[in-house]
Amino acid sequence: MVEKKIVVRSQDTNQHRVLDRATRQRRLTRQLEALEKDNFQDDPHASLPQLAKRLPQFDESHESGKKRKKTRGDHFKQRFRKNFQALLEEENLSVSEGPNYLSACAESSKLPQRHFCAVCGFPSNYTCVSCGARYCCVRCLGTHHETRCLKWTV
Amino acid sequence: MTTLVLDNGAYTAKIGYSHEKVSVIPNCQFRSKTSRLKTFTASQLDEIKDPSGLFYILPFQKGYLVNWDVQRKVWDHLFGKEMFKVDFADTSIVITEPYFNFTSIQESMNEILNFKRSSGSLSAHRYFQENSSELCCIVVDSGFSFTHIVPYCRGKKMKDGICRLNVGGKLLTNHFKEIISYRQLHVMDETYVLNQVKEDVCYVSQDFYKDMEIAQLKGEDNTVMRDYVLPDFSAIKKGFCKPPEEMNFTGKYKSGEQILRLSNERFAVPEMLFHPSDIGIQEMGIPEALVNSVHNLPEEMQPHFFKNIVLTGGNTLFPGFRDRVYKEVRSLTPTDFDVSVVQPNNPICYSWEGGKLLSENPDFDEMVVTREDYEENGHFICEEKFDI
Repeated sequence: MVEKKIVVRSQDTNQHRVLDRATRQRRLTRQLEALEKDNFQDDPHASLPQLAKRLPQFDESHESGKKRKKTRGDHFKQRFRKNFQALLEEENLSVSEGPNYLSACAESSKLPQRHFCAVCGFPSNYTCVSCGARYCCVRCLGTHHETRCLKWTV
Repeated sequence: MTTLVLDNGAYTAKIGYSHEKVSVIPNCQFRSKTSRLKTFTASQLDEIKDPSGLFYILPFQKGYLVNWDVQRKVWDHLFGKEMFKVDFADTSIVITEPYFNFTSIQESMNEILNFKRSSGSLSAHRYFQENSSELCCIVVDSGFSFTHIVPYCRGKKMKDGICRLNVGGKLLTNHFKEIISYRQLHVMDETYVLNQVKEDVCYVSQDFYKDMEIAQLKGEDNTVMRDYVLPDFSAIKKGFCKPPEEMNFTGKYKSGEQILRLSNERFAVPEMLFHPSDIGIQEMGIPEALVNSVHNLPEEMQPHFFKNIVLTGGNTLFPGFRDRVYKEVRSLTPTDFDVSVVQPNNPICYSWEGGKLLSENPDFDEMVVTREDYEENGHFICEEKFDI
């Protein structure tokens, strides 16, 4: 009996950890950023040893041709190596008024936000106290606690 | 003199000579688990026998050309002897760029493609111009990276009315992948396969909450539910939906194929185009943004825009897309305005066709910049000649 009580209490303290608004927002931003990714897996070539390229080439002319091409590629890389963020920052400095990339973004909707269960996707009426995720029934809440609540580190 | 029209999209390039047909080719490179050491470019995708776990290398980031190295390889392939055998000395090129393209991207583009070039991105509307006696139209272009809503009046785009939603096909596929991975089967690595599933089974709901109710029902009443047979790339080359009469409501099949059971995912995923706030993107949905954009324009023009709504881009191919846009725009506008939503037969290649018509325009020669012009005047001449 006594042991059981202790277990309940220890679970309880765990349950009472409530994420504040800033953390919830951070988690949401991270999820949305993940949706912009091109791939979730690693490059299948990343683990390959670069041996094939370093092998001595017997065909002299072939090698020189390859070299020239490579330097051209490097040149391109040097000149145009800017990611989206860098381009955006650069643009902000030069353009200050008038419609631009940032001002063209849609405003936030006037309609109220709808809520869906984070587990099954159906309309939900309840919010998880700890992390703010939505759920629709006790079963989904159980699944949510077991899998994602306060554990999700995408 | 020939003209090559290239609608350079973030996911697919729509390319073809103006006197020939258009081809839709992936604008990216691929790596596959099975064939190591080889990187496949654009149309070489067909050579990959087992595209499971396909790795994408995309030249675009958030809809803007960033990775020039990859883009150059794709272009080399497209223009080269394997594909279009372009003779640059004797070819004009019409190429498109996104709205609000960054100046440094434009400069690089002008420099690399330093032969004749005429800015597109307007091509969709050029087509409209040819087609109709109307003065204004509003183009909804829902592509891979984002969705743009752009009003045009007498062939000029109205910059103040341009509106962008950061929801596109890529986001839909990634979200679809994520919920399937959480609910059923881990498919996070299978972008290629899941994109196919999305295109095959997703649709835009006409009555969202009603469909939600149907999707919750059990057994045969649940008309939304589908079982999708995933490809294994040996016996099943391409995934497909199980025909309704073969569906087994317990979800257990003896044949041993891999099945995805899809219910509310089918319409909840495209729903993000209409309610991006469902996943926490605080932006308006397409109909609301469209109406909002029109309201920012001069009042006397507004009825003309509602009468001429044109849908382009791959996302508009979801069944029910046009009807839903019509329904919502209709309910958001006063009854004395006519609302008409046009979906062309081939919304993906619509702007390519616009570019084709443009190249047949008698004034076309004045719109292009030759290499000599460019070398003489630099980037300035491009800014002057292209409507960017």
